[in-house]
Amino acid sequence: MMSSKAQSSNNLAHARRTVQQLRIEASIERIKVSKASADLMNYCSEHARNDPLLMGIPASDNPFKDKKPCNIL
Amino acid sequence: MCDQTFVAITFGPCDCCGKASPLMNIYIKSEATNYCSFCVEVMATQGLQAGESAASLKKESDSLKKKLEEERAKLSDIELSQVAEKIEVLAPLSIKTRRVLKGHGNKVLCMDWCKDKRRLVSSSQDGKVIVWDAFTLNKEHGVTLPCTWVLACAYAPSGCAVACGGLDNKCSVFPLSLDKNENLNTKKKSVAMHTNYVSGCTFTSSDMQILTSSGDGTCALWDVESGQLLQSFHGHTADVLSLDLAPSETGNTFVSGGCDRKANVWDMRSGQNIQSFECHESDINCVKYYPSGDAFASASDDATCRFYDLRADREVAVYQKDSIIFGASTVDFSLSGRLLFAGYNDYTINAWDVLKGTRVSALFGHENRVSRVRVSPDGTALCSASWDNTLRIWS
Repeated sequence: MMSSKAQSSNNLAHARRTVQQLRIEASIERIKVSKASADLMNYCSEHARNDPLLMGIPASDNPFKDKKPCNIL
Repeated sequence: MCDQTFVAITFGPCDCCGKASPLMNIYIKSEATNYCSFCVEVMATQGLQAGESAASLKKESDSLKKKLEEERAKLSDIELSQVAEKIEVLAPLSIKTRRVLKGHGNKVLCMDWCKDKRRLVSSSQDGKVIVWDAFTLNKEHGVTLPCTWVLACAYAPSGCAVACGGLDNKCSVFPLSLDKNENLNTKKKSVAMHTNYVSGCTFTSSDMQILTSSGDGTCALWDVESGQLLQSFHGHTADVLSLDLAPSETGNTFVSGGCDRKANVWDMRSGQNIQSFECHESDINCVKYYPSGDAFASASDDATCRFYDLRADREVAVYQKDSIIFGASTVDFSLSGRLLFAGYNDYTINAWDVLKGTRVSALFGHENRVSRVRVSPDGTALCSASWDNTLRIWS
């Protein structure tokens, strides 16, 4: 059973921690969304050709795709 | 009154009592000071400090929140989708089911690829964990845990062990034996201990450490050999449902998401929560880093997936459609980061164009909720796990 005094100090301690946390978050360096977007787009285009799910790869290179079946006459 | 465990960055003489001890960095009347934990608690039980009151703290907290919003808004000069207008539209993907992995007797809850790009581990509601060769569909290993709902499983970087956990509140590591007849339970190592279910686990850069997320609201870093808790991460105010480690080039951070609708980014060494995003309208079920490490995505019960840029410190895209009304449970990026695969409770997987914000393809096949999607390490395939007791490989 917490006394009301202990309870209010708990709330105070919690409030102090929240303020601490917010101070940290408010102080970080940020960049503009336009710059961030440009960088994301650059990363995608630089790596696009090595992205098999995006580009598709020939069945011969894909261990999961079945090779064309041979028709035995 | 509980003394909250904290990680001390400094050790030295306390500014209050002068004794040498681990110090907490706090602010009194906006001045930074270092107090030992005893003096902090003495101060707290004394109630109000001169110049500081519950009301002034609330006022400062509100003004800081407002300042955060303003700072973020100032830099929001354009939308990602607008910048992406100039790039070509993607054609629908020619991706189909290539393999169906049958063998679990109940809902498959989690899976993870091995670095060798062909093996994977999956875990199920019936307590079974299976290691598969995805090329041949061979089941290479199987182990039964004493608990049901194995919510999390992960493959070790070496490929020599797997970790799993769930309703047992633990995360255990099983070295994989070359002897197929050996019972893996004999070498089982109990590593993590939480006070509620383990929802997610991952090895860090080596087999020596694992990171876990839990229904007890915390994440934790553990040493596998000794089972020792190395660092704990407090900040979520409800169950943490997912975590993801930043790609190795970007340093020691990870992101977590949970039932408090928040996605938090953490510094692994200090335990500090460095960034927080509260944009979803419901539980966040999954978080995943973008391949460059500068951004991450989240999947939520609010039927949307969202994309956040860490350097701009804001949400930059929302992936949603009026026709999508069921929760998204899982997300993963393709190798280039251009595609985001998301699994939903309506049994489908949607592939989104990350930059343009539009849906590129929908993948149908599962007969129940999709619980997990993961792109293989070389990007050739997508594996999905489902409550229909199967896993599918798409390529």
